[in-house]
Amino acid sequence: MATFVIRRLVASFFVFLAATYLMYILTALSGDPLEDLRASTAPNAAQLIERRIDLLNLDVPPYLRYFIWLGGVGGCFIGQCNLGFNVQGQPVLEILGQALGQTLQLVTFAAIVAVVIGVIIGITTALRQYSTYDYSVTFVTFLFFSLPIFWVAVLLKQYIAIGFNDFLRQPTIPPLAIVVIALALGLIAAGIAGGDLKRRLIAGGTAAVVTGAALAYMSATEWFLTPSLGIVVVALTAIGLAFAVTAISAGLRNRRALYASLTVAVLAIVLYYPLQFLFVSMTLPLFLGLAIGTILLSGAIGYFWGGHDRWQSARTAAIVGFLTAGVIALDEFMSYWNAYSNSSRVRGRPIATIGAETPNLGGNFWVQGVDSFTHLLLPTIALILISIASYTRYTRSSMLEVLNQDYIRTARAKGLTERTVLVRHAFRNAMIPVATIIAFDIGAIVGGAVITERVFAWTGMGALFQNGLERTDPNPVMAFFLVTGTLAIIFNLIADLVYAALDPRIRIS
Amino acid sequence: MTTNIPVQEPGHNEPGVTDEASNLELKEVEGLSQGQIVRRRFFRHKGAVIAMIVLAAIILLSTTSVGVTIGPWRTPGWWPFTWDALTPVENRTRPSLAHPFGQDEVGRDIFALVMRGTQQSLSVMFIAGIIATVIGVVIGALSGYYRKAIDSVLMRFTDVIITIPIIVIGAVLGVAFGSLGASVLGVVIGLFSWTSLARLVRAEFLSLREREFVDAARVAGARDRRIIFRHILPNTVGVIIVNSTLLMAAAILLETALSFLGFGVQSPDTSLGKIISDNQAAFATRPWLFWWPGLFIIAIALCINFIGDGLRDAFDPRQKRMPSARALAKGKGANAVTGDVAAANAPIASDLSERDGGQGTR
Amino acid sequence: MTRLLEVVDLEVGFRTGNGVVKALNGVSFTIDRGESVAIVGESGSGKSTTAAAIINLLPGGGEILGGKVLFEGKDLAKASTAELEEVRGKRIGFVPQDPMSNLDPVWSVGFQVRETVRANGLATDRAGAKAKSIEVLQQAGLPGAEQRFHQYPHQFSGGMRQRVLIGMGLAANPSLLIADEPTSALDVTVQRRILDHLDSLTENSGTALMFITHDLGLAAERASKLIVMYKGRIVEAGPSLEILRNPRHPYTQRLIAAAPSLASRRIQASGAGEVAPVASGEQQAALEVEQLDLASAAEHRLQHEDARREAGDAIVVDELTKVFKIRQGGFRSTEFTAVDKVSFSIPKGTTTALVGESGSGKSTVAKLLLGLETPTSGAITIDGRRTDALTGRARFELRRRMQPVFQDPYGSLDPLMSIGSIIAEPLTVHGVGDRASRRQRVLELLDQVALPRVLAGRYPNELSGGQRQRIAIARALALKPEIVVLDEAVSALDVLVQAQILSLLAELQEELGLTYLFITHDLAVVRVIADNVCVMQKGRIVEQAATDEVFDNPREQYTRDLLEAIPGASLLAS
Repeated sequence: MATFVIRRLVASFFVFLAATYLMYILTALSGDPLEDLRASTAPNAAQLIERRIDLLNLDVPPYLRYFIWLGGVGGCFIGQCNLGFNVQGQPVLEILGQALGQTLQLVTFAAIVAVVIGVIIGITTALRQYSTYDYSVTFVTFLFFSLPIFWVAVLLKQYIAIGFNDFLRQPTIPPLAIVVIALALGLIAAGIAGGDLKRRLIAGGTAAVVTGAALAYMSATEWFLTPSLGIVVVALTAIGLAFAVTAISAGLRNRRALYASLTVAVLAIVLYYPLQFLFVSMTLPLFLGLAIGTILLSGAIGYFWGGHDRWQSARTAAIVGFLTAGVIALDEFMSYWNAYSNSSRVRGRPIATIGAETPNLGGNFWVQGVDSFTHLLLPTIALILISIASYTRYTRSSMLEVLNQDYIRTARAKGLTERTVLVRHAFRNAMIPVATIIAFDIGAIVGGAVITERVFAWTGMGALFQNGLERTDPNPVMAFFLVTGTLAIIFNLIADLVYAALDPRIRIS
Repeated sequence: MTTNIPVQEPGHNEPGVTDEASNLELKEVEGLSQGQIVRRRFFRHKGAVIAMIVLAAIILLSTTSVGVTIGPWRTPGWWPFTWDALTPVENRTRPSLAHPFGQDEVGRDIFALVMRGTQQSLSVMFIAGIIATVIGVVIGALSGYYRKAIDSVLMRFTDVIITIPIIVIGAVLGVAFGSLGASVLGVVIGLFSWTSLARLVRAEFLSLREREFVDAARVAGARDRRIIFRHILPNTVGVIIVNSTLLMAAAILLETALSFLGFGVQSPDTSLGKIISDNQAAFATRPWLFWWPGLFIIAIALCINFIGDGLRDAFDPRQKRMPSARALAKGKGANAVTGDVAAANAPIASDLSERDGGQGTR
Repeated sequence: MTRLLEVVDLEVGFRTGNGVVKALNGVSFTIDRGESVAIVGESGSGKSTTAAAIINLLPGGGEILGGKVLFEGKDLAKASTAELEEVRGKRIGFVPQDPMSNLDPVWSVGFQVRETVRANGLATDRAGAKAKSIEVLQQAGLPGAEQRFHQYPHQFSGGMRQRVLIGMGLAANPSLLIADEPTSALDVTVQRRILDHLDSLTENSGTALMFITHDLGLAAERASKLIVMYKGRIVEAGPSLEILRNPRHPYTQRLIAAAPSLASRRIQASGAGEVAPVASGEQQAALEVEQLDLASAAEHRLQHEDARREAGDAIVVDELTKVFKIRQGGFRSTEFTAVDKVSFSIPKGTTTALVGESGSGKSTVAKLLLGLETPTSGAITIDGRRTDALTGRARFELRRRMQPVFQDPYGSLDPLMSIGSIIAEPLTVHGVGDRASRRQRVLELLDQVALPRVLAGRYPNELSGGQRQRIAIARALALKPEIVVLDEAVSALDVLVQAQILSLLAELQEELGLTYLFITHDLAVVRVIADNVCVMQKGRIVEQAATDEVFDNPREQYTRDLLEAIPGASLLAS
């Protein structure tokens, strides 16, 4: 194992070294770093040119200048990082820190959402192969593959941000829109449900009626101005989650697991009001602490309920606990929506089109959270469209492949329930290649948001790269490449390790 | 007796049982070469056929309407305006009968502009696709067939190229070469987007060279060149064609993205990405500047993706296959772990290259 | 009292691009409690489909179109998913065909047995489930069940995996066990041990056994009742011995005549000379007309043997060794000796069989002979010339004299080339003749392997396995070689086709004076085709002698095990 990792890292190191050299030379030769100063009419232009040449060692030809840069990078290993300066004379290391922070904020959330949604859609389409639902999803994924992201981003700004903000002035939904949306959702639900006509009618009808009623209620109460869930919705969701999660994770026949989930759900409902007092003085560490505490506590409840597989019950209860806690947190965030929306900085137009945060907003943890959400919304949608499409395709083909395997039939012949066959055997095997791909992707994602960052004016890694390139400034470009390249190498390695961990047939030695 | 079966197993007479199943099967494949079967399956894929017609229409429309300009040589088109001519602004630049797509603020006809952009984007797509395919096939074939040292060297080289995100290298090179026109940009993109294809072709060669028909050819005395060109390469054509179409879809999105960022096609020439980039600020007031080039990008990429899907179905309906547990277990002893992971991923890697299309251009 | 299983007019279809194709056409049979029934048929006869249809687990696109599957009076064809889940595992056990692909690779063997135990309610608590699972594995004859409980399927050999699968099938003491070719993927000796074990298990528990196989000898040996299927129908059914001795349907008669295991037993029973009567006089005559009785074909060989004994050896293999390096990750590697100092010689115009189980190194010997691998040490002499001394041109010339036929009829023909170009390829490569003469030679060869000439313009995908193998033989003969290396050349074929190919090979040998190296795992086939036998085990030749010698007086225990494993031992004694 250790030998494998070291061997891979050494090989990758040399490959990466070659790549950085190539990158440096190409960047340095792509233009003239003194262009702006040569055109300048400032009286001290000659002096400025002199100073920049001095600072960036422009008198050294690029193929040697690379080694000066490399020496600075080498310093990182002894704690004295020097990534050089950009043309404005700022140290690149500092800019890199800020840029990385913004980009991580943007891509982490997008990656999680894309994986969850993509995998779920992929599995459902595989289980309903050749249905209308399957064909529609296939068409939509192809469409997403073909979308230029910068074009989508402009559309999002116009219709989601500006459109929604305009809508908030008079937040009532026209009856026709309610009917159309309800019918559309009903059709989708019917497609996913599959089966015979009766089953599809029930699923579609229920979805349409529930959606229609909810929208009508929201419209009538101007819900979008002061959104909230309230104890009733929270309670219903918690109980619903308890049943749904148990059905997928352990099967409803496993009574102990069901009771454990319900205990967690009821506990969450009981704690709904007491928790409000705690929420007033929320901080990020406390928030994360509560999340972890919730998982541990629910897991413990599941474990003590036991049943013939304690860990299964514990896992089920922990998932229910986590999701229910999420719903309660969502409710709390919503309660600050109105305050945020009407603050002097936001002035009733909450969905942001540019930047990562509202400057000088102030406010507590919850207001800040809402602010992050409104800024993340559009770039996240733009980023995840393609990822969702690819995870969907990928999960679907992997799942279909596994469902055709002999051991799936054998599992059914052994008398296992359909749920067990699908979750324990099909899903577990189908996820092996998908998990590998996810690891690869995460490695690539930090550098992959160049266009999105540009359209939404985030000053992240993409901006670092792009500005550097525009000014023929190799140092920021190389800093960008150093981070993305290193991440790519590490995550490629992780992908292999994940593969080996998930598939007992692969031994790493 | 089933004398109605055209190809009869001698001495293999059925005891009075007619056989519908094998008749049906025979009907499907009777007298058809692989190429004919592929063609037949492709034309059964409705989406792909429609996509092919639409793409042909777009190519025809863009090349005949404003004519083709290659260097000093210029063919006339039937459209009354050229893409670089300024005409008086009519109807406050809104779409009108004379200018169905409208005009931009200086009076250029958007239809002509979009047609020119489409030409440019298409030529980048085809040039990049052809160059990447040639390089990918050569490198993959050499690695997979000769293995050993050649394989190591070529694959490390591939790793170097793969480490650099395609949009990054495209941008760096686009700054240097973008002003030289669309064809040069196509060459540059092609030079760096062959990596996934090379890996796939290598995997195909690695597995095909172990097949019994290759052994049979070798025992017959066939030389490497004959084995590569006559036996292995024709059997990889499916993988190559499918993936080069997907490469093309990726190339057009990459070109538009680069031009959007300002690293691609430069003024005074134009491309679909550049039209969008030039006019994005005007979206609220003149959305037609924005809708048309976008729709053409989507239409082209969507067509290519559908054609790719049709080709995949046609060449091998089961191409998305993963190696069986058995193949994995067999390979385990002989391969180092990296080889295994790569081998396990190779057959589904056709999906990977599909993803590459999107990955590069976020 | 209701029957245990009553299948009535079962019809199954598969949905394809060209509409529904019927796989079963009104199949009816019954199985009583404790009875053992074998379903025999060639590939595509619908025997596996029947098995899958009973527990309603047809592969994708399959559908029961009509008929009933009455299990203890209840129609499983119309049962709900929940009802089926209740029956599967608990009431009807299932042992699948391929042990390699039927265990989930990512879960430990113990886990997979335990979930079976749990799902069928055989234990309620954790410890009980584990104890029961270990018991199940022990009963299935898995050595060291407790220690191996947490190991993964890939750490088990094929035989052990099959034991695990049998254990799972029998875990709940079902009243019916469906075993779908449970041992055909295994070596013969392993096969025998596992079937013996399965017999004793079902006998002890009173479980009825539905046994599906392509091997008539095996079926008759293991089951009291036989059902012969052909193209989705039952052509004959009845008590095993009766069918074997007195087959009524012509198809069954041909099947019996073509089965190598039975033929080999018949030769055995009758001594080297004459063939024991297999059927009544009339039927015997019918069989002889068809020229497909393997036993009489073998007899024919014997009579002509002396004529073929000419001077000189076609092939001499001396102390041949091949060592493979297996990379162990890192920079280490271990050595694996696949072929260990193997020596044998093949007289011109005769057939020598190289017999061994999987991993014995027999195929590596073939590859070394054909020059597809280079030997680590030792010498191969072909027609008096040592191959290692040859270079370039001479080696190329030598290829003309020795040609192969490979095992897999689907993998050995390039799917993109027409039949004509496939057969002509050796001629093209060696620059023999011009276009027209090559074309002429292709047609001749098609005649020789008894295929219609029109095939020259067709493609391999149109042909059946047997036809493909004939093409492969034609290709091997194109250069008029003296030696043909047959690497498991008939192993992948159905018995009837196998018999045809074997008699074709015999005819060609007689006609062209060919020398064969016949590599196989199936001793039964050896008896009907080979003059000499070399038995390989773990890279070494453990016994070599004339075929009769090996069959009549085997010296090594290993050879004796192999011989005993040929099914049908007791059937023809009386």
